[in-house]
Amino acid sequence: MTASARRPRVWAMIAVYAALAVATATVLYPVLLVVKKAFEPGRQFALSASPIPDDVTLDHVRALLGARGPDGELAFVRHALASVVVALATTVVGIALACTAAYALSRFRFPGRRTALTTFLVVQMFPASLLLLPLYVLLHRLGLLNSLTGLVLVYSTTAIPFCVWTLKGYFDGLPRELLEAARVDGAGPARIFFTIVLPLARPGIAVTALFSFMTAWNEFIMASTFLTDEGKYTLPVLLQSSVGQFSADWGRFAAGAIVTSVPVMILFYVLQKYLVGGLTAGAVKG
Amino acid sequence: MIVSPPRPPVRAALRDAGVAALLVWVVLMAAFVRARNRDFAARELARAEAAAQAVARDEAPLHPTAAAGVVRPATAIAGYPYLKRRKVVRGKVERPLGGPSAPAADKLLYDAAARFDAAGPFAALLPDGSGRAVAAVATRRGPAIAVTVEPGAPRGLPWLVVIGLVGLGAVLAAAGAVAGRSALGVGVSVAVLGLPAWTWGGPLLAGFALVVALATMLAHARGATERLAAGLVAHRVALSFLAPAAIAMIVLVLIPFVVGLGIGFYDHQHGSWTCVGLDNFGRILAGNGRAFDDPLNFWFILGVTVLWTGANVVLHVAIGTALALALHQRWLVGRGVWRVLLIVPWAIPNYITALIWKGMFQGEYGAINSLLEGFGLDGVSWFSSWATAFAANVATNTWLGFPFMMVVALGALESIPRDLYEAAEVDGASAWQRLTHITLPHLRPALGPAVILGSIWTFNMFNVIFLVSGGKPGGATDILVTDAYRWAFERGERYGMAAAMGTIIFLILLLWTVFGTRVTRKEREP
Repeated sequence: MTASARRPRVWAMIAVYAALAVATATVLYPVLLVVKKAFEPGRQFALSASPIPDDVTLDHVRALLGARGPDGELAFVRHALASVVVALATTVVGIALACTAAYALSRFRFPGRRTALTTFLVVQMFPASLLLLPLYVLLHRLGLLNSLTGLVLVYSTTAIPFCVWTLKGYFDGLPRELLEAARVDGAGPARIFFTIVLPLARPGIAVTALFSFMTAWNEFIMASTFLTDEGKYTLPVLLQSSVGQFSADWGRFAAGAIVTSVPVMILFYVLQKYLVGGLTAGAVKG
Repeated sequence: MIVSPPRPPVRAALRDAGVAALLVWVVLMAAFVRARNRDFAARELARAEAAAQAVARDEAPLHPTAAAGVVRPATAIAGYPYLKRRKVVRGKVERPLGGPSAPAADKLLYDAAARFDAAGPFAALLPDGSGRAVAAVATRRGPAIAVTVEPGAPRGLPWLVVIGLVGLGAVLAAAGAVAGRSALGVGVSVAVLGLPAWTWGGPLLAGFALVVALATMLAHARGATERLAAGLVAHRVALSFLAPAAIAMIVLVLIPFVVGLGIGFYDHQHGSWTCVGLDNFGRILAGNGRAFDDPLNFWFILGVTVLWTGANVVLHVAIGTALALALHQRWLVGRGVWRVLLIVPWAIPNYITALIWKGMFQGEYGAINSLLEGFGLDGVSWFSSWATAFAANVATNTWLGFPFMMVVALGALESIPRDLYEAAEVDGASAWQRLTHITLPHLRPALGPAVILGSIWTFNMFNVIFLVSGGKPGGATDILVTDAYRWAFERGERYGMAAAMGTIIFLILLLWTVFGTRVTRKEREP
């Protein structure tokens, strides 16, 4: 401790602070531009490079939140609700499936385990263009086309592989003696899983839940392909269509972008201490 | 370990026969439905054709029809030379086809007449899935057309046959087990199913049933099924934990994937599929007949994709690691604040990031050009040349991608024991030596998998390319995934080409992963 606490050289300090300042400025500049656009009159994207608005208005926010759908309902609220429902359901389904699978792969040795692990890695490589058409036909056959349920099913299976690998890393790190002791005390596998493993792995579960949530919250190709009814559009589809080829309304887009990003940012902020380390737990042990 | 008592041979034989029979039955049912539909279609087509012949002879058709008549050639209406109208004759009655008070089935007659004019006599099922058939035969007055009514319910599943055959199979298997020739009994009991297989699916399906029977027999004789069953029982806890996710993955990922692979061997044009074997792959790999420097040549796109992936991963790792090292300094003030701010791009949905950067790169009004002009430089028309459009894509993706690497590197840095540094410092190692001999070697095991994962994500990063440059100029900045998307949705629904492209992408990534994991593993085990 003492050695590292020694005073660093001045030029090193300057370099580190300068690098951080430049990086942070680069990160924040586009964000500030969007904030500016959301509260500045006009539909164009940006007429000046300055991230400070000349004039402040709530018109875009009001237009975004106040837009009425065909039945006179608040359109944005409706789409936001669809997105929230899809994202939360995806998180619950994805985590439930990933936790059990990761636990099986981490704690048990059975034939086919390596194959299953490899499969969970390989499916990450399936390009969406290969799956889109068969999934479309499959959902059509199951009567799940144009339904949020179908979307939830597809999203959770997209999220599962990454969640399984991350959670497996977490479960691998749990003390084996604890589980062994519980077993000796007569706890069954289900009881060990629910009362010991899950509570201990809470940070890992939090991180993977965040990823499942983001998978569903951010996806727009499948949503725009599988949802044909405009009333069911999720937020990404809605936002993307607001800056379409011919009628770009950047003010409204910026307002929507902020409203869409803030929930994820809050989640990131809350979970950031789990994020560091949570990702590497699996990687280091392989 | 307690040795479990040997399973009674009758039960094992019945179990194996049952599982194999189930497998054959699933395939048999599909064959049954297909054979039934074929018979059904043939019958309806024959009825429609007979009805059309009857109409042509001015007789009453034998079976009821939804619409029938001889459709006269189109003639112009007096006073409205551009409006043409057809008439339909049925017996002695002649009336105009269509119009406000006409029956809805007139549309079917009209379409059939148009098809007859284009292609001559025909008989076909209506494409609405109702099972109705339409036929047109030639007469001197025009095509005689008949549309059959919706047929009744199709022939039901022969349950008696099913129960009888399964029962017979069970008796044979049990008898075999009792007689001591257990494997033979199992084989014969499954082979019984070859009988209906022959009638519904021909010799091919019957052969399939026999192969399954033979395979089960051999597996049973060698004890493989016994071991499998014992394994399933022994690992039932682990397998039941794995099952929910496995089933979901099989239904919603693996089956679509296999179907997608299959589609790659077909060509889809104007709504019809034709099997073309390896043609799609051949065309793609031959560059679709274009020169190598043509942006639509596969090898050009592959080059762009590799360049895109390489540039992004290098930038992600370099920037991410550098910032992680900076954040890791113990004397840094406000570390939490810096870290939160630097993670921000990760939290913003990537399609929003892509659209923001697209707006920033806009030629006339874009913020980037305003910035450049502020520094006294000329504005750039970003999406009109390859290099600038590519740079815009890379800048966007670097912005949104480096936090992942930074967080991974931070996690790895925190796991390096502090005493290693202290020992190095006591030994008089310089800061540079500590970096290259302690920090970087410890980062490698965590960054290796992250690099492989990151390169897969970047290789398949659809949103940034599609939304920022959109392939401009002229598709030159498209990568493989966006090009595959264009085959499916922007070039006349060539799903076959898109799927073949997807297969190639998958194979490339698979090779890369196998290669990558081998390299990282080798590094980990010196």
